[in-house]
Amino acid sequence: MRNLTVAVSLLALPLLAEGTESPWRLGMALGYGERGNPLAASEDIPVVVDLDIAWFGERFFFDNGDLGFTFHDGRRVTASLVARARSDQVFFGRANFEFVSISLTGDALDEEEPLQLPDRDFAGELGFELLADGRWGFLQVNAFHDVTGIHEGYEVSLDYGVGLRSGRWYFEPGFRVAYKSANLNDYYWGVRMDESSPVLPAYEAGAGVNTGVRLRASYHFSRRWALRMAVDYEGLNDEIAESPVVDSDNVIGYFAGLSIDF
Amino acid sequence: MRQILLTLTAVLAVWPAGATEPPPASLTVKPVLCIVDERTPSCDLNFMIVWQALQLGYYCVSNDHDAEPLRCWIDRQSGETTDRRELTESIEFRLEEGEAAILVASATVDVLRKDSDDRRRRRRTRYVWDVL
Repeated sequence: MRNLTVAVSLLALPLLAEGTESPWRLGMALGYGERGNPLAASEDIPVVVDLDIAWFGERFFFDNGDLGFTFHDGRRVTASLVARARSDQVFFGRANFEFVSISLTGDALDEEEPLQLPDRDFAGELGFELLADGRWGFLQVNAFHDVTGIHEGYEVSLDYGVGLRSGRWYFEPGFRVAYKSANLNDYYWGVRMDESSPVLPAYEAGAGVNTGVRLRASYHFSRRWALRMAVDYEGLNDEIAESPVVDSDNVIGYFAGLSIDF
Repeated sequence: MRQILLTLTAVLAVWPAGATEPPPASLTVKPVLCIVDERTPSCDLNFMIVWQALQLGYYCVSNDHDAEPLRCWIDRQSGETTDRRELTESIEFRLEEGEAAILVASATVDVLRKDSDDRRRRRRTRYVWDVL
Protein backbone atom coordinates (compact mmCIF):
# COMPACT_ATOMS: atom_id res chain seq x y z
CA MET A 1 0.00 0.00 0.00
CA ARG A 2 2.88 2.30 0.88
CA ASN A 3 4.46 1.53 -2.50
CA LEU A 4 1.18 2.40 -4.22
CA THR A 5 1.00 5.70 -2.37
CA VAL A 6 4.56 6.55 -3.33
CA ALA A 7 3.88 5.62 -6.95
CA VAL A 8 0.71 7.75 -7.09
CA SER A 9 2.56 10.66 -5.47
CA LEU A 10 5.38 10.39 -8.01
CA LEU A 11 2.93 10.36 -10.90
CA ALA A 12 1.23 13.45 -9.52
CA LEU A 13 4.42 15.49 -9.25
CA PRO A 14 4.62 16.60 -12.90
CA LEU A 15 0.90 17.47 -12.79
CA LEU A 16 1.40 19.75 -9.81
CA ALA A 17 3.76 21.77 -11.88
CA GLU A 18 1.29 22.39 -14.75
CA GLY A 19 2.03 25.71 -16.34
CA THR A 20 5.60 25.79 -15.13
CA GLU A 21 8.16 23.20 -16.13
CA SER A 22 8.27 20.34 -13.68
CA PRO A 23 11.73 19.09 -12.67
CA TRP A 24 10.39 15.60 -13.30
CA ARG A 25 10.09 13.85 -16.61
CA LEU A 26 8.23 10.59 -16.26
CA GLY A 27 7.02 8.48 -19.12
CA MET A 28 6.50 4.95 -20.27
CA ALA A 29 6.28 3.32 -23.68
CA LEU A 30 4.74 -0.11 -24.23
CA GLY A 31 5.34 -1.88 -27.48
CA TYR A 32 7.90 -4.13 -29.04
CA GLY A 33 11.45 -3.75 -30.18
CA GLU A 34 14.82 -5.42 -30.10
CA ARG A 35 18.44 -4.50 -29.62
CA GLY A 36 20.61 -6.71 -31.78
CA ASN A 37 23.29 -8.73 -30.01
CA PRO A 38 26.62 -8.84 -31.88
CA LEU A 39 27.89 -11.72 -29.72
CA ALA A 40 28.16 -15.13 -31.37
CA ALA A 41 25.61 -17.74 -30.24
CA SER A 42 23.61 -15.10 -28.40
CA GLU A 43 20.05 -13.86 -28.50
CA ASP A 44 18.90 -10.37 -29.35
CA ILE A 45 17.59 -8.30 -26.48
CA PRO A 46 13.82 -7.78 -26.52
CA VAL A 47 12.50 -4.37 -25.48
CA VAL A 48 8.85 -4.36 -24.44
CA VAL A 49 8.79 -1.48 -21.98
CA ASP A 50 10.81 1.70 -22.23
CA LEU A 51 10.68 3.72 -19.02
CA ASP A 52 11.67 7.37 -18.89
CA ILE A 53 12.50 8.51 -15.35
CA ALA A 54 14.39 11.78 -15.04
CA TRP A 55 14.70 14.67 -12.61
CA PHE A 56 16.46 17.93 -13.42
CA GLY A 57 17.41 20.26 -10.61
CA GLU A 58 19.32 23.50 -10.97
CA ARG A 59 22.68 21.75 -10.55
CA PHE A 60 22.06 18.06 -10.01
CA PHE A 61 20.13 15.73 -12.27
CA PHE A 62 19.17 12.11 -12.67
CA ASP A 63 18.43 10.89 -16.17
CA ASN A 64 17.52 7.23 -16.58
CA GLY A 65 20.51 5.95 -14.65
CA ASP A 66 22.91 8.82 -15.28
CA LEU A 67 23.74 11.07 -12.32
CA GLY A 68 24.98 14.54 -13.16
CA PHE A 69 26.25 17.77 -11.69
CA THR A 70 25.97 20.81 -13.95
CA PHE A 71 28.77 23.29 -13.35
CA HIS A 72 28.09 25.59 -16.29
CA ASP A 73 24.80 26.48 -17.96
CA GLY A 74 25.37 29.25 -20.46
CA ARG A 75 23.57 30.66 -23.44
CA ARG A 76 25.48 28.42 -25.83
CA VAL A 77 26.70 25.43 -23.82
CA THR A 78 25.76 23.36 -20.76
CA ALA A 79 28.62 21.47 -19.12
CA SER A 80 28.20 18.70 -16.56
CA LEU A 81 30.10 16.07 -14.67
CA VAL A 82 28.28 12.78 -15.18
CA ALA A 83 28.46 9.34 -13.57
CA ARG A 84 27.00 6.41 -15.45
CA ALA A 85 27.13 2.66 -15.81
CA ARG A 86 28.42 0.93 -18.94
CA SER A 87 25.80 -1.60 -19.88
CA ASP A 88 27.62 -3.67 -22.53
CA GLN A 89 27.57 -6.49 -19.98
CA VAL A 90 23.93 -7.05 -20.95
CA PHE A 91 25.04 -8.54 -24.28
CA PHE A 92 26.98 -11.23 -22.41
CA GLY A 93 24.02 -12.17 -20.26
CA ARG A 94 22.17 -13.55 -23.27
CA ALA A 95 24.74 -16.02 -24.51
CA ASN A 96 23.60 -19.60 -25.18
CA PHE A 97 25.76 -22.41 -23.90
CA GLU A 98 26.16 -24.93 -26.71
CA PHE A 99 28.43 -27.59 -28.19
CA VAL A 100 29.94 -26.78 -31.57
CA SER A 101 32.01 -28.66 -34.15
CA ILE A 102 33.43 -25.53 -35.79
CA SER A 103 35.44 -22.93 -33.92
CA LEU A 104 34.31 -19.30 -33.90
CA THR A 105 37.05 -18.55 -36.42
CA GLY A 106 35.61 -21.14 -38.83
CA ASP A 107 38.10 -24.01 -38.29
CA ALA A 108 36.74 -27.58 -38.15
CA LEU A 109 37.22 -29.25 -34.75
CA ASP A 110 38.12 -32.93 -34.25
CA GLU A 111 35.19 -33.36 -31.88
CA GLU A 112 32.38 -31.23 -30.50
CA GLU A 113 33.57 -28.76 -27.90
CA PRO A 114 31.60 -26.63 -25.47
CA LEU A 115 31.31 -22.97 -26.44
CA GLN A 116 31.49 -20.89 -23.30
CA LEU A 117 31.53 -17.15 -23.90
CA PRO A 118 33.41 -15.12 -21.28
CA ASP A 119 31.65 -13.22 -18.49
CA ARG A 120 31.87 -9.45 -18.36
CA ASP A 121 30.78 -6.94 -15.73
CA PHE A 122 29.03 -3.59 -15.59
CA ALA A 123 31.52 -0.73 -15.18
CA GLY A 124 31.04 2.60 -13.44
CA GLU A 125 32.24 5.57 -15.47
CA LEU A 126 32.77 9.22 -14.73
CA GLY A 127 33.14 11.93 -17.32
CA PHE A 128 32.35 15.31 -18.78
CA GLU A 129 29.45 16.20 -20.96
CA LEU A 130 28.93 19.24 -23.16
CA LEU A 131 25.52 20.08 -24.59
CA ALA A 132 24.80 22.73 -27.19
CA ASP A 133 21.75 23.47 -29.29
CA GLY A 134 20.24 25.96 -31.66
CA ARG A 135 18.18 26.09 -34.81
CA TRP A 136 20.86 23.89 -36.37
CA GLY A 137 20.02 21.01 -34.01
CA PHE A 138 21.58 19.68 -30.83
CA LEU A 139 25.03 18.38 -30.07
CA GLN A 140 26.26 16.22 -27.20
CA VAL A 141 29.94 15.57 -26.58
CA ASN A 142 30.97 13.08 -23.89
CA ALA A 143 34.27 11.85 -22.49
CA PHE A 144 34.00 9.03 -19.94
CA HIS A 145 36.61 7.02 -18.07
CA ASP A 146 36.16 3.88 -16.01
CA VAL A 147 36.43 4.60 -12.27
CA THR A 148 35.65 1.11 -11.00
CA GLY A 149 38.75 -0.69 -12.29
CA ILE A 150 36.66 -2.96 -14.54
CA HIS A 151 37.92 -2.07 -18.01
CA GLU A 152 40.21 0.88 -17.15
CA GLY A 153 39.50 2.43 -20.54
CA TYR A 154 37.73 5.49 -21.86
CA GLU A 155 35.33 6.62 -24.56
CA VAL A 156 34.94 9.97 -26.32
CA SER A 157 31.73 10.42 -28.30
CA LEU A 158 29.88 13.01 -30.31
CA ASP A 159 26.14 12.83 -30.91
CA TYR A 160 24.23 15.15 -33.23
CA GLY A 161 20.49 15.29 -33.85
CA VAL A 162 17.92 17.64 -35.27
CA GLY A 163 14.21 17.78 -34.48
CA LEU A 164 11.72 18.32 -37.30
CA ARG A 165 8.05 18.89 -36.49
CA SER A 166 5.08 18.78 -38.81
CA GLY A 167 1.77 19.11 -36.98
CA ARG A 168 1.48 16.15 -34.64
CA TRP A 169 4.42 14.36 -36.22
CA TYR A 170 7.95 14.71 -34.93
CA PHE A 171 11.05 13.30 -36.63
CA GLU A 172 14.54 13.28 -35.19
CA PRO A 173 17.36 12.00 -37.37
CA GLY A 174 20.78 11.85 -35.78
CA PHE A 175 24.23 10.35 -35.97
CA ARG A 176 26.93 9.39 -33.51
CA VAL A 177 30.67 8.81 -33.56
CA ALA A 178 32.41 7.18 -30.59
CA TYR A 179 36.11 6.51 -30.05
CA LYS A 180 36.67 3.55 -27.73
CA SER A 181 40.07 3.03 -26.18
CA ALA A 182 42.00 -0.24 -26.45
CA ASN A 183 41.39 -1.09 -22.78
CA LEU A 184 37.64 -0.60 -23.16
CA ASN A 185 37.41 -2.63 -26.37
CA ASP A 186 39.68 -5.35 -25.09
CA TYR A 187 37.87 -5.85 -21.79
CA TYR A 188 34.49 -6.46 -23.43
CA TRP A 189 35.45 -7.94 -26.80
CA GLY A 190 38.87 -9.49 -26.26
CA VAL A 191 39.49 -13.11 -25.20
CA ARG A 192 42.11 -13.64 -22.49
CA MET A 193 44.43 -16.64 -22.61
CA ASP A 194 42.71 -18.23 -19.63
CA GLU A 195 39.34 -17.88 -21.43
CA SER A 196 40.53 -19.33 -24.72
CA SER A 197 39.73 -22.82 -25.95
CA PRO A 198 39.86 -24.72 -29.26
CA VAL A 199 36.50 -23.09 -30.01
CA LEU A 200 37.41 -19.63 -28.81
CA PRO A 201 40.95 -18.46 -29.64
CA ALA A 202 42.60 -15.71 -27.62
CA TYR A 203 42.13 -12.22 -29.06
CA GLU A 204 43.33 -8.77 -28.12
CA ALA A 205 41.22 -5.85 -29.29
CA GLY A 206 42.70 -2.43 -29.97
CA ALA A 207 41.12 1.01 -30.05
CA GLY A 208 38.51 1.89 -32.66
CA VAL A 209 35.71 4.19 -33.73
CA ASN A 210 32.05 3.16 -33.81
CA THR A 211 29.66 5.14 -36.00
CA GLY A 212 25.90 5.16 -35.85
CA VAL A 213 22.74 6.68 -37.31
CA ARG A 214 19.24 6.75 -35.90
CA LEU A 215 15.76 7.99 -36.63
CA ARG A 216 13.12 8.63 -34.04
CA ALA A 217 9.54 9.49 -34.94
CA SER A 218 6.46 10.17 -32.88
CA TYR A 219 2.83 11.08 -33.43
CA HIS A 220 0.91 12.75 -30.61
CA PHE A 221 -2.69 11.67 -30.17
CA SER A 222 -3.16 13.97 -27.21
CA ARG A 223 -1.14 15.89 -24.62
CA ARG A 224 -0.02 12.64 -23.03
CA TRP A 225 -0.45 9.80 -25.48
CA ALA A 226 1.75 9.26 -28.48
CA LEU A 227 2.88 6.61 -30.92
CA ARG A 228 6.66 6.32 -30.85
CA MET A 229 9.02 4.60 -33.22
CA ALA A 230 12.78 4.41 -33.32
CA VAL A 231 15.43 2.67 -35.37
CA ASP A 232 19.10 2.81 -34.54
CA TYR A 233 22.10 1.41 -36.45
CA GLU A 234 25.57 1.25 -34.92
CA GLY A 235 28.53 0.11 -37.00
CA LEU A 236 31.13 -1.62 -34.83
CA ASN A 237 34.78 -0.77 -35.30
CA ASP A 238 37.01 -3.46 -36.87
CA GLU A 239 38.69 -4.27 -33.56
CA ILE A 240 35.31 -5.36 -32.17
CA ALA A 241 33.93 -6.84 -35.40
CA GLU A 242 36.98 -9.11 -35.84
CA SER A 243 36.77 -10.53 -32.33
CA PRO A 244 36.02 -14.27 -32.30
CA VAL A 245 33.17 -13.67 -29.84
CA VAL A 246 31.43 -11.35 -32.31
CA ASP A 247 29.54 -12.51 -35.38
CA SER A 248 28.17 -9.19 -36.62
CA ASP A 249 29.78 -5.89 -37.51
CA ASN A 250 26.75 -3.86 -36.43
CA VAL A 251 24.07 -3.54 -33.80
CA ILE A 252 20.56 -2.67 -34.91
CA GLY A 253 17.89 -1.53 -32.48
CA TYR A 254 14.26 -0.76 -33.14
CA PHE A 255 11.09 -0.09 -31.18
CA ALA A 256 7.48 0.87 -31.88
CA GLY A 257 4.86 1.41 -29.25
CA LEU A 258 2.41 3.62 -27.42
CA SER A 259 3.77 6.01 -24.87
CA ILE A 260 2.31 8.08 -22.06
CA ASP A 261 3.92 11.12 -20.46
CA PHE A 262 2.92 11.59 -16.82
CA MET B 1 -42.80 -7.37 -4.57
CA ARG B 2 -43.17 -4.56 -2.07
CA GLN B 3 -39.51 -4.92 -1.17
CA ILE B 4 -38.47 -4.69 -4.83
CA LEU B 5 -40.53 -1.53 -5.27
CA LEU B 6 -39.04 0.00 -2.13
CA THR B 7 -35.52 -0.83 -3.31
CA LEU B 8 -36.23 0.63 -6.77
CA THR B 9 -37.64 3.80 -5.18
CA ALA B 10 -34.54 4.13 -2.97
CA VAL B 11 -32.20 3.68 -5.93
CA LEU B 12 -34.08 6.28 -7.96
CA ALA B 13 -34.05 8.67 -5.02
CA VAL B 14 -30.27 8.62 -4.72
CA TRP B 15 -29.64 8.53 -8.49
CA PRO B 16 -28.13 11.88 -9.58
CA ALA B 17 -30.85 13.95 -11.17
CA GLY B 18 -28.64 15.07 -14.04
CA ALA B 19 -27.35 11.61 -14.83
CA THR B 20 -30.23 10.77 -17.17
CA GLU B 21 -30.65 14.24 -18.64
CA PRO B 22 -28.80 14.91 -21.84
CA PRO B 23 -26.46 17.90 -21.77
CA PRO B 24 -28.13 21.16 -22.90
CA ALA B 25 -25.76 21.49 -25.82
CA SER B 26 -22.60 20.12 -27.37
CA LEU B 27 -19.68 21.91 -28.94
CA THR B 28 -17.07 20.10 -31.02
CA VAL B 29 -13.85 21.73 -32.19
CA LYS B 30 -11.26 20.08 -34.43
CA PRO B 31 -8.30 19.89 -34.23
CA VAL B 32 -7.88 19.95 -30.46
CA LEU B 33 -4.09 19.80 -30.18
CA CYS B 34 -1.31 22.14 -31.22
CA ILE B 35 2.33 21.22 -30.59
CA VAL B 36 4.99 23.95 -30.48
CA ASP B 37 8.75 24.00 -29.97
CA GLU B 38 11.76 26.23 -30.75
CA ARG B 39 11.57 25.59 -34.47
CA THR B 40 7.76 25.72 -34.65
CA PRO B 41 6.78 28.43 -32.15
CA SER B 42 3.11 28.57 -33.21
CA CYS B 43 0.41 26.53 -34.98
CA ASP B 44 -1.52 27.92 -37.91
CA LEU B 45 -4.78 26.01 -37.58
CA ASN B 46 -8.12 26.06 -39.36
CA PHE B 47 -10.70 25.06 -36.73
CA MET B 48 -13.95 23.35 -37.61
CA ILE B 49 -16.53 24.27 -34.97
CA VAL B 50 -19.84 22.38 -34.76
CA TRP B 51 -22.55 22.86 -32.13
CA GLN B 52 -25.91 21.32 -31.34
CA ALA B 53 -28.50 22.45 -28.76
CA LEU B 54 -31.68 20.86 -27.43
CA GLN B 55 -33.92 23.78 -28.29
CA LEU B 56 -34.15 26.67 -30.72
CA GLY B 57 -32.60 29.88 -29.50
CA TYR B 58 -30.05 32.61 -29.84
CA TYR B 59 -26.56 31.15 -29.61
CA CYS B 60 -23.06 32.54 -30.04
CA VAL B 61 -19.66 30.86 -30.33
CA SER B 62 -16.88 32.84 -28.67
CA ASN B 63 -13.44 32.19 -27.25
CA ASP B 64 -11.28 33.39 -24.38
CA HIS B 65 -8.86 35.23 -26.69
CA ASP B 66 -11.28 37.64 -28.38
CA ALA B 67 -13.73 40.07 -26.80
CA GLU B 68 -16.32 39.69 -29.56
CA PRO B 69 -18.14 36.44 -30.41
CA LEU B 70 -16.88 34.59 -33.43
CA ARG B 71 -20.36 34.09 -34.83
CA CYS B 72 -24.02 34.19 -33.62
CA TRP B 73 -27.15 32.36 -34.77
CA ILE B 74 -30.79 33.46 -34.23
CA ASP B 75 -33.56 30.87 -33.81
CA ARG B 76 -31.25 27.99 -34.50
CA GLN B 77 -30.70 24.63 -32.80
CA SER B 78 -27.39 23.77 -34.48
CA GLY B 79 -24.66 25.38 -36.49
CA GLU B 80 -21.13 25.18 -37.74
CA THR B 81 -18.40 27.62 -38.59
CA THR B 82 -14.68 27.77 -39.16
CA ASP B 83 -11.98 29.87 -37.55
CA ARG B 84 -8.44 30.18 -38.78
CA ARG B 85 -5.89 31.45 -36.28
CA GLU B 86 -2.28 31.18 -35.18
CA LEU B 87 -1.99 29.69 -31.70
CA THR B 88 0.82 30.03 -29.19
CA GLU B 89 -1.24 29.21 -26.10
CA SER B 90 -4.34 27.14 -25.31
CA ILE B 91 -7.72 28.50 -26.30
CA GLU B 92 -11.21 27.73 -25.03
CA PHE B 93 -14.16 27.91 -27.43
CA ARG B 94 -17.55 28.53 -25.81
CA LEU B 95 -21.14 28.13 -26.88
CA GLU B 96 -23.24 30.78 -25.13
CA GLU B 97 -27.02 31.11 -25.07
CA GLY B 98 -29.14 34.27 -25.16
CA GLU B 99 -28.35 37.92 -24.61
CA ALA B 100 -27.02 37.04 -21.15
CA ALA B 101 -24.40 34.81 -22.80
CA ILE B 102 -25.00 31.81 -20.55
CA LEU B 103 -22.29 29.21 -21.09
CA VAL B 104 -23.87 25.96 -22.29
CA ALA B 105 -20.88 24.10 -23.73
CA SER B 106 -17.16 24.54 -24.17
CA ALA B 107 -14.17 22.90 -25.83
CA THR B 108 -10.47 23.53 -25.22
CA VAL B 109 -7.68 23.38 -27.78
CA ASP B 110 -4.48 22.39 -25.99
CA VAL B 111 -1.09 23.86 -26.83
CA LEU B 112 1.58 21.34 -25.94
CA ARG B 113 5.01 22.90 -25.49
CA LYS B 114 7.82 20.52 -26.40
CA ASP B 115 10.58 23.08 -26.06
CA SER B 116 12.50 23.63 -22.86
CA ASP B 117 14.99 26.14 -21.49
CA ASP B 118 16.85 23.19 -19.99
CA ARG B 119 18.91 21.60 -22.75
CA ARG B 120 19.77 18.66 -20.46
CA ARG B 121 16.27 17.34 -21.20
CA ARG B 122 17.50 16.53 -24.70
CA ARG B 123 20.59 14.61 -23.64
CA ARG B 124 20.86 11.02 -24.77
CA THR B 125 21.73 8.17 -22.47
CA ARG B 126 23.61 5.20 -23.89
CA TYR B 127 22.26 2.12 -22.20
CA VAL B 128 21.75 -1.05 -24.19
CA TRP B 129 18.03 -1.10 -23.38
CA ASP B 130 17.48 2.53 -24.43
CA VAL B 131 16.04 2.29 -27.91
CA LEU B 132 13.77 5.32 -27.89
